[in-house]
Amino acid sequence: MVENARSLNLVASAVLFLGMLYILGPLYLTLTTSTQSYEFMLRNGLVWYPGDQFFTNVIRIFSETRIPQQMANSLVVAVGDALVTCVLSFISAYALVFFPVRWGSVVFASILATIMLPLDIRVITTYQVASNVLSPINALLDIIGLNGLIAGVFGAPVVLEWSVLNTHFGLIAPLVAHGTGTFLFRQFFLVLPKDLVKAARMDGAGPIRFLFDILLPLSRPSFAALFVLTFLGGWTQYLWPLVASSTPNMQTAVVGLARLAPDMEGVMPDFPLIMAGAVVVSIIPLVMIAVLQRYLVRGLVLSEK
Amino acid sequence: MSSPTQALFANRWLPVLLVTPLALLIVIFFYVPIFQAFYWSFFLERPFGGGSIFVGWANFARVLSDPQFWEAGKRTVIFMVIGSSLAVLVPLILAVAADRQLRLSQPARNVLVWPKGVAGASIGVIFAFIFNPFVGILSPLNQWFPGIWAPGIDGTDAFIMLIAAHVWSGIPFNFVILLAGLQSLPRTMHQAAAMDGAGAWRRIFDVQLPLIMPQVFLTLVLEFTESVTSAFALVDTMTKGGPGGSTNLLVYKIYVDGFNGYDLSGAATQTAILMVFVVLLTGAQFAFLGRRINYER
Amino acid sequence: MNAIDTSIDSAIRAAASAIVLENVSKSYDGTTQVIPPLDAELRAGEFTVVLGPSGCGKSTLMQMIAGLERVSGGTISFGARKVQDLEPKERGCAMVFQNYALYPHMSVFENIAYSLKVAGMPKPERVERVEAVAKMLGLSDLLARKPGQLSGGQRQRVAIGRAIVREPGVLLFDEPLSNLDAQLRHDMRMELAELHRRIGATTVFVTHDQVEAMTLADRILILNKGRIEQFDTPKAIYHKPASVFVAKFIGAPPMNIVPVTGDGKVLRLADGQVLVECPVFGDYQLGIRPEDILVGEGPIKAGLRYREDLGSHAILAADLGGNLLRIATPFGADIGTEANLSLTFPPLRLHLFDAETGRAIPGAFSAQ
Repeated sequence: MVENARSLNLVASAVLFLGMLYILGPLYLTLTTSTQSYEFMLRNGLVWYPGDQFFTNVIRIFSETRIPQQMANSLVVAVGDALVTCVLSFISAYALVFFPVRWGSVVFASILATIMLPLDIRVITTYQVASNVLSPINALLDIIGLNGLIAGVFGAPVVLEWSVLNTHFGLIAPLVAHGTGTFLFRQFFLVLPKDLVKAARMDGAGPIRFLFDILLPLSRPSFAALFVLTFLGGWTQYLWPLVASSTPNMQTAVVGLARLAPDMEGVMPDFPLIMAGAVVVSIIPLVMIAVLQRYLVRGLVLSEK
Repeated sequence: MSSPTQALFANRWLPVLLVTPLALLIVIFFYVPIFQAFYWSFFLERPFGGGSIFVGWANFARVLSDPQFWEAGKRTVIFMVIGSSLAVLVPLILAVAADRQLRLSQPARNVLVWPKGVAGASIGVIFAFIFNPFVGILSPLNQWFPGIWAPGIDGTDAFIMLIAAHVWSGIPFNFVILLAGLQSLPRTMHQAAAMDGAGAWRRIFDVQLPLIMPQVFLTLVLEFTESVTSAFALVDTMTKGGPGGSTNLLVYKIYVDGFNGYDLSGAATQTAILMVFVVLLTGAQFAFLGRRINYER
Repeated sequence: MNAIDTSIDSAIRAAASAIVLENVSKSYDGTTQVIPPLDAELRAGEFTVVLGPSGCGKSTLMQMIAGLERVSGGTISFGARKVQDLEPKERGCAMVFQNYALYPHMSVFENIAYSLKVAGMPKPERVERVEAVAKMLGLSDLLARKPGQLSGGQRQRVAIGRAIVREPGVLLFDEPLSNLDAQLRHDMRMELAELHRRIGATTVFVTHDQVEAMTLADRILILNKGRIEQFDTPKAIYHKPASVFVAKFIGAPPMNIVPVTGDGKVLRLADGQVLVECPVFGDYQLGIRPEDILVGEGPIKAGLRYREDLGSHAILAADLGGNLLRIATPFGADIGTEANLSLTFPPLRLHLFDAETGRAIPGAFSAQ
C-alpha cells in the first residue's frame, strides 16, 4: 500500500528493540558473568564485558557439582515425557476421531480438563499418589468390604504398595498425564480430508494399516511440534522433580541449578559459578529452539486452537 | 449429508485399548490426586501413620481463620491480575510491532521465543542475581540512594522482581499466539480500512485489536491459570516467599505447609480451595468474556 | 489432453456383476430414515448414474453399496453374493472420490499400488499392473510424482487408476468431476465413457449434474429424499418424466409446470384461459418443455416479460395467467419486447401430472 506510516514504524522498531533487549539482556549478563571469577564479581559487581574464566567455571560445574548427572536425568525426563506423550496422545486422538466411541466426547472432555489444573496446583496429593500408586486399589478394596473378608480368611488385609517416587518413571508419568497432545492431534485429524479414511478402507486397509501407512506419515510435522513442546516442558519442570526426587542423583538439572545457591544469609553466592551452571543447563533447550524453531512455533499455535 | 459415524472403523475394542494408557495415567495422576485433595480436606491425618479421622469442615475452619492464608490469597490475586495483564499486554504490543514487517521483525520473532527454553527456576536464579542489591544491575543506585532497591527487605521490590521474571517467561507463548492471530487477519481488511480513511495508527485500535480479541482472551485465560501455578519456581528461587511473607503466594505456601510443615490436611484443604477458585475463574471468564468476543469470519 | 490410449490390449478388464438392492434402508438414529426401503437392480456392465439434489441420499446409497456405511435393513447383492455385511475390500468394488482422496505422502505409483500391496500381491506383479494402468491413463511419466505436484486433471486420473487397478467388478464414482473446470470436465466425461466401454465394470456414478447424467448413463436413477423418482434411460427420463420432480430436475431451462383445472373437455388456467383439450376432471399440473412451445399464431395468449439471446437460441420469459413460462425459440425470431405472444402447445408434447402427488398421468394426451 502507498502509505506514510513512518511514525508508527519508528515506534514499532523501538518497541521490538526494547523487547529483544528485555529477553537478551538477562541472557547476555548470564553469559558475561559466567566468564568472571568470584573475586572479580565481588570487586566489580555486574559487568557488561566478558572475562576469561568461562571454561574454569564450566569445568567446576562438571567436576564439583552433580549437574552432569542431573543433566542426564533431565534428558531422560524430557525425552521420556516427549516420546511417551507423543505416542499416547497420538493413539488416543486416533481412537477418539476415527472410531465411533461411545462416550467419546465425555472421554475427550475429561482428558482436556487436565489443562485447567496444572501439576503445580495439585502437587501435594499427586505426591501422595506417587508414593503409592496402588493406594486407590487398597481404598477400593476397603470400601467394597473385600478387605474385611480377606482379613477374616487370611488373617491380614491386602495392602498393595508401589512407590514411584525417586524413579525416572515417577518423574515422567505425572507430566504425561496431560491433554494438550491429544487436543493437538485431534485438531490435526479433524482437518484431514474425510475421504482419506474411506479411500483407505476401499483399498482394503484396516484400522492398524491405516494408522501406520497413512496417518503416521501424514502426522510427522505434528509429531515434531508436540515433541519440541513437551521436551521443553519436561526439561524446564521444577516443582515436580523437586518433590519427586529425594536424592540429588535423581534430581533434574534445573533443580540442581537452583540448589547451587547457598541458603545462608549474608553470604554472597558464587554467582559466576551459578551463571555458568545456568548456561550449561539452558544450552540444550536453547539450541533445540534455535534449530527447531519452526516446529516450536507451530506447536504453540496448534496447542491453542 | 455427513453423519458423525460416517465411514469410521467399526472396531469395538481397539479404540478402548488405544485410549486406555493415557486415560489410566490421567486417572491416577490427575483425577485421583484431585479427589484426594478434597478427601483430605475433610480428614485429619496422623503424621506418622495410624490412619485418618473424619473432621468435617474443621480443616476449612482452621485454614479460613488463618490470616496467613488470606494474606497469601490476596498476594496470589494481586500477582495474578498484575502479572497476567502485563504478561499479555507486553507480548501484544510486541506482536503488533512485529506484524508490521520491519527489518527487526524477523530477528524479534526469533529471539522472543527463546525464554521457552529457559526454565522458570533458571530465570529466577538469573534475575535474583541481576537484581541483587549489592552486585546487581541496580546496585549503583543503592550507592547514591542507600536502601532504595532492597528486594531482600522491601516486599514491593521483591514483588516487582517476581513480576518482571514472570512476564519474561510468558512472552514466547503469548507472543506467538497473538502474532499468529494478527497474521491471520485478511490483508483486504487493512486495505478496506485504509480506503475508509483510517491511518496506520488508527487501524491498530479500530481493526487489529478488536479482531484479535479472541486470541487476547484465550491468552488471558491461560495466563491466569499459569500465573497461579508457575510462580512457584520463581518464588522458590528468588524470594522464598519473603521478605515477611510479601511474596508468599498460595502455591508456595501449600508446598511449604505440606512438605516442610507436614500438614497434609491443611495443604490439601488449601489445594482444594485453590482448585475451586481456578475452575470457577476459568468458567466465569468463558461465561462472561468469551461470549462477547466471538466474531463470525 | 491425453485421450485414453486405445491401442493397448485390455490388460485391465473386470468380470462385471449385477448389483441388486432389496429393501435397502438407512437410518442414523433409528427414527428418521435417510433412505426408506428401496429396491433397484443395476444390470451387469451397465453405467448407472444416480442423480439428485444435494441431501437426497445419493451419497449414502453409494456408500452402502461400497461398504463404507452399514445398511440399516435389506440386502445388497453383487451377482449371486450377498455383500451387505462384508467389508469394502471383500466386496470387490472400487471407488473414485470427489476430492480424489489421494494419499498426499505417497507417489503416484504408491497411490495406485496401495490396494494391491494391502492385498499382498508380490512386487513384480504389482509393478506390471500399475504400469499397465498408468499407460492406459497416460500417467506413465508421472509415476514418481507426489499428488501435490499434479494438476487437477492428473489427480483425477490417478484416482481413477487407483480404482481400476484392482480390476473391480463394480466401480463407484462419487461426484468425481465436480472439482474440475468446464473444459476439463467435458474431456473427462468423454474419457470416462471410453473407459467404461473398455473395462466393462458395472459402474455407479453419483452426481447432481444433469449433463453428466444425460451423456454418461445407460440408465439414470433419480433420487429424491431417499426415494427413487424414476429409473430409466436418459431418453425416457427426458421425454417421459415420471413426476414433476423429474420434469423440473432435467432440462435447462427446466420444464414449465402450470396448475390447471379440467372440466371434462378442456384444461383451464385459474383465470379461465383454455390451454388445451383434455377429457379429465379436477386439478392437475400441466408440463411443457420450453423448446416445445410454438410461438406465432396460436390460441394461447401470454405477455412477454424479458428475453435472453444466447446466440444459438433465445429464451423468452412470459407471463401466462400469473405463471412464469419459459420459451426457447430459434435465435433471430422477430419478437419485440413488451409484446403479447400468441402460443401453441402441441398436445403430443404435453405432460399431465397429478396435482397432489406430482406423479405423471400416462397417456393423457397420446390418445388424441
